Amino acid sequence: MLEQMFTVAFLTTFLTSSVRMAVPLIFAGLGETFSEKAGILNIGVEAIMLSGAFFSFAATYVTGNLWLGLIGGMIGGMMVSLIHAVFSICLRKDQTVTGIALNMFILGATSFMFKILVNNNPDFPQISTFHKIAIPMLCDIPVIGPAFFNQDIIVYASYVLIILSTLFLYGTTWGLSLTAVGEHPRAADTVGIKVYTIRYLAAMINGVLGGLGGAYLTLVQLGVFMENVTSGRGYIALAVVIFGRRHPIGVFLAALLFGAADAFQFRLQAIGIQLPSQYLTMLPYVVTLVVLLFSAKGSSDPQSLGKPYIGDAR
Amino acid sequence: MIKNHAKIKNNMLNILVIISIVLIVATLLVMAANKSPIKAYQAFLFGIFGTLNGFVEIFVKSTPLIFAGLGIAVAFKSGFFNIGAEGQLYMGAIGAAATSIFLTGVPGPLRLILSIIVAFVFGGLWALIPGILKVKFNISEIITTIMFNYIAINITALVVRGVLKEPGEYLPQSPMIEKAARLPELLPPTRLHAGFLIALLMVFFMWFIMHKTTIGYELHVVGLNKNAAKCTGISVMKNIIISAFLSGGLAGLAGMGEVLGIQFRLLDGISGGNGYTAILVALLGFNHPIGVLVSAIGFAALQVGSNTMQRQLGIPASIILIILGLVVLLILAKDMFFKERKITINTVKEGGE
Repeated sequence: MLEQMFTVAFLTTFLTSSVRMAVPLIFAGLGETFSEKAGILNIGVEAIMLSGAFFSFAATYVTGNLWLGLIGGMIGGMMVSLIHAVFSICLRKDQTVTGIALNMFILGATSFMFKILVNNNPDFPQISTFHKIAIPMLCDIPVIGPAFFNQDIIVYASYVLIILSTLFLYGTTWGLSLTAVGEHPRAADTVGIKVYTIRYLAAMINGVLGGLGGAYLTLVQLGVFMENVTSGRGYIALAVVIFGRRHPIGVFLAALLFGAADAFQFRLQAIGIQLPSQYLTMLPYVVTLVVLLFSAKGSSDPQSLGKPYIGDAR
Repeated sequence: MIKNHAKIKNNMLNILVIISIVLIVATLLVMAANKSPIKAYQAFLFGIFGTLNGFVEIFVKSTPLIFAGLGIAVAFKSGFFNIGAEGQLYMGAIGAAATSIFLTGVPGPLRLILSIIVAFVFGGLWALIPGILKVKFNISEIITTIMFNYIAINITALVVRGVLKEPGEYLPQSPMIEKAARLPELLPPTRLHAGFLIALLMVFFMWFIMHKTTIGYELHVVGLNKNAAKCTGISVMKNIIISAFLSGGLAGLAGMGEVLGIQFRLLDGISGGNGYTAILVALLGFNHPIGVLVSAIGFAALQVGSNTMQRQLGIPASIILIILGLVVLLILAKDMFFKERKITINTVKEGGE
């Protein structure tokens, strides 16, 4: 078994699928980073991803167009995030409770809608997925080349997004305002930053990106929607944000680690390892716990994370 | 007096609005499934009131929801967001099954009591680990308890294929538990079992703990304001750990009830999502034991009715998860319809987004 694992071919396929597995977490983690940096703790990432996964599937299934599917996923994610935003920004409800309730609600709603959608069709609906595009030169690098530079367009979009987010958050006034709103909304308000507007915008970004992450799950990884297709990935995305210290590059690396855990279990199952599959299925969840334990020291939480802001209660 | 009266009137109005919205949404959902709403409601009511079996099934289905709902309520009350009841339920189920299968030498009733205790301890320990991780390392219990759910489900799958597998059988399941060590039936031929009575007992017990003892008071203070608790000398760490253990233990009892009262063996997927629905049950019951009892029974009734709708008309039973989630969100949002005066004054200026 060990000889099988240390071949270039194994490493290449392993890394390639690690990147693919990481993509939903990169998008969802980035989205949640924006939200948390602005002070909104949205536990409903699972709901956002699930909604994105469903609506992307539904849109593609109905129209036959993958791009419309992506847009459907983004809208689906954004709707959920906006509900959370209204509850936590405007109504000032407990953000955690709202998120948990949304997770349950969307689980039921997507299962119901999926059954209705495919009701008339006895065949299991499968949709065609995005093609791989090799980037010349870069994809010829051994092992790393095929893994990172022979992927589909959404993977490349995630790289671009990581760079843009880093520039945005740390290099622009907008990014600094966002951080200020999450750290000290009162001070931000005093210098004329629109706290509510920024929080709503952050929530929308969270919804769009989380929805995109969910869409990647159905449109690329699986080509099909199932009940509870996210199976905890939204919560793993929350762990990615913590481990990545709410920095886009940190989120990217953390997502890769979790993607690797996921890919590792699939690769081991593929080479027919003599171990009950449950041990392998557990792996990503165990890795999440271990990683959380290691990132426990020195919290990077924004000061006002999860706290509603009341504009004029001075 | 007058103020109180207005408040009650306001509350009634709230409830009426929420019920109407829910009825409208339910009707729309049924129509979306291309079915006649009238037939759907007929099937729904027939499912609940049509047969004795159906009616009693409400209490059968409410049993795990009461246990797990109570557990979640006590955790939420102390600010420990335990959403891992599903996993704790599985661990309780493993504990109960293992005890009654391995201790064949112990006489039935005693073994039953032992199984109940072990189920409580197993579930409790499964929640205790996230509890310790939270108080010692400040790791979000929301993430850890969910991860523990998926791990527990896989452990169950391993156990029914390994140590607890029925010898010589192909199916992944434990051997049958003999009759003497099961929870007694209450109303044969229905499936109602003594687990329901234990659940009622736990409602009283938890009400007593949460509302009549110092422990309950301290849990509540910790949940309201950790800093205030520290200042008054209440140990946050101790209370979170107590509430985590109690919470997981109660969820473990839900698993025990399913093993010793319904299936009589350990199976893959024995919970069927009860640990998750119990979260909504607890929220709907305002984390109050009596509220949990009422909402668990109400939810079980919805479940029984919608199962009949699914059987007779093919309307997906997941419709109830939508309804229940919607109700919780509407209750959370009810200020949107009826802002109390005090709040309105504060929010008119900037909160209008």
